[in-house]
Amino acid sequence: MSDLSHNYFVSVAEIAAKLDQATHIAQQLSLTASNARAVALRAGERAAGFRPLTDFIDRLAEITIKSSRNINKLAAALSQTSADKERADSAISHFNVVFVKAKDSAYIHSLDEVFSRCQRKQQQLNQSYKRQIFRLSDELAMLSSELRNAVILATLSRVEASQAGVQYQDALINVADNVEGAASKIKDHIHYSQQMVSILEEY
Amino acid sequence: MKTHKLFESNSHTWLMFGRDDEKPNEIIDTNQYIVISNKNALLMDPGGIELFSAMLSAVIKQLPAEKITHLFASHQDPDIISSLGLWDQALPSATLHSPWIWESFIKHFGMNHISYAAIPDEGSSLKIDQVTLDFIPAHYLHSSGNFNVYDSDAKILMSGDIGAALESVDAPLFVEDFDEHICKMKMFHQRWMPSNEAKNDWVNRVRKLDVEMMCPQHGRIFKGDNVKRFLDWFEALEVGVIAKSTTEA
Repeated sequence: MSDLSHNYFVSVAEIAAKLDQATHIAQQLSLTASNARAVALRAGERAAGFRPLTDFIDRLAEITIKSSRNINKLAAALSQTSADKERADSAISHFNVVFVKAKDSAYIHSLDEVFSRCQRKQQQLNQSYKRQIFRLSDELAMLSSELRNAVILATLSRVEASQAGVQYQDALINVADNVEGAASKIKDHIHYSQQMVSILEEY
Repeated sequence: MKTHKLFESNSHTWLMFGRDDEKPNEIIDTNQYIVISNKNALLMDPGGIELFSAMLSAVIKQLPAEKITHLFASHQDPDIISSLGLWDQALPSATLHSPWIWESFIKHFGMNHISYAAIPDEGSSLKIDQVTLDFIPAHYLHSSGNFNVYDSDAKILMSGDIGAALESVDAPLFVEDFDEHICKMKMFHQRWMPSNEAKNDWVNRVRKLDVEMMCPQHGRIFKGDNVKRFLDWFEALEVGVIAKSTTEA
């Protein structure tokens, strides 16, 4: 068993932290969209082709923020379930030791009901854990697919930037770089989280 | 873990659990006590997480789990009550009696089912079946919110950390030679107990009680004249001091 699966509840907390970072980067992307709009406005007719792209950047930022927040919430809920699951698992293993150590005790069956309740709780948590992992995995895949558009958007932005004249070209290319950079960073976080989630799915 | 009967009458029994030779070396050995009455039981300072399985195994040999309707935690330390999250699953209907000031702290150990009965600073009493147990204030000895349990019928005082000694798991249950025992408890009391005023107030109150056995949470039990010897020694001891070698620099 790898260290990761051994400390699954720690891994889930790490995923939540990674995705929290992704939300912050998405917020920077939103700033980039506002900046792009201002530059395109100043550039006037020469950046006419760039202006519609700012709407797309804005939309991408909006989707990314919304999705990141949603994923972050799912990861936080999963983190709580994992901690509860760890506690339930620990209780079961402690009770198992008692069943061995006190097997001849006249009162050992007084623990049966308690043990069954703990097992039921453990099963419920296992089901919640699997359901939450599945939803998290799904949401990560959706955001990852949205972010593919960022590359296209960055390429189009560069093409349009080259039409905007020397005065605004650098600023608009910078916008394109920011979009690509932010998307790439978020994708790294998502990729990392997806890898972690795929290991956790097996747990 | 060993079980030792300290007292038995028609109404109730006192048992001590401890000297756990299977416990990990790094954790301090602890004494746990239980009062079993006709239909109920009070388990005192049930111990840390590491002890839970051994403790429950020992308890279940003596009584059915559901008979433990009350728990007591003299204070908030991990060796006293960090097993709470597991007892919470084993005894969901039980009530935990503990100092009011520690309620929101102790709940960090995990308490979703057990009820918390906050003991006021001046102390209180618990009646289980025909037995009355008094929660005697022992604040600052060592914790700032701290109680002992006194049973006037059995003449037993469960004194928590007062009278505690750091010893090996094969130490005898009772103090045999008091003077020899001093070296095992002197540093513990001086370092862990912060207030001479609180200590002397406790000594004066406990002198008025009829105590045949004083049962600390670590080390050996004081019996008969050794209880009085302990009170005299403790009264004369200056506490709240740290070894000079560590403060002189």
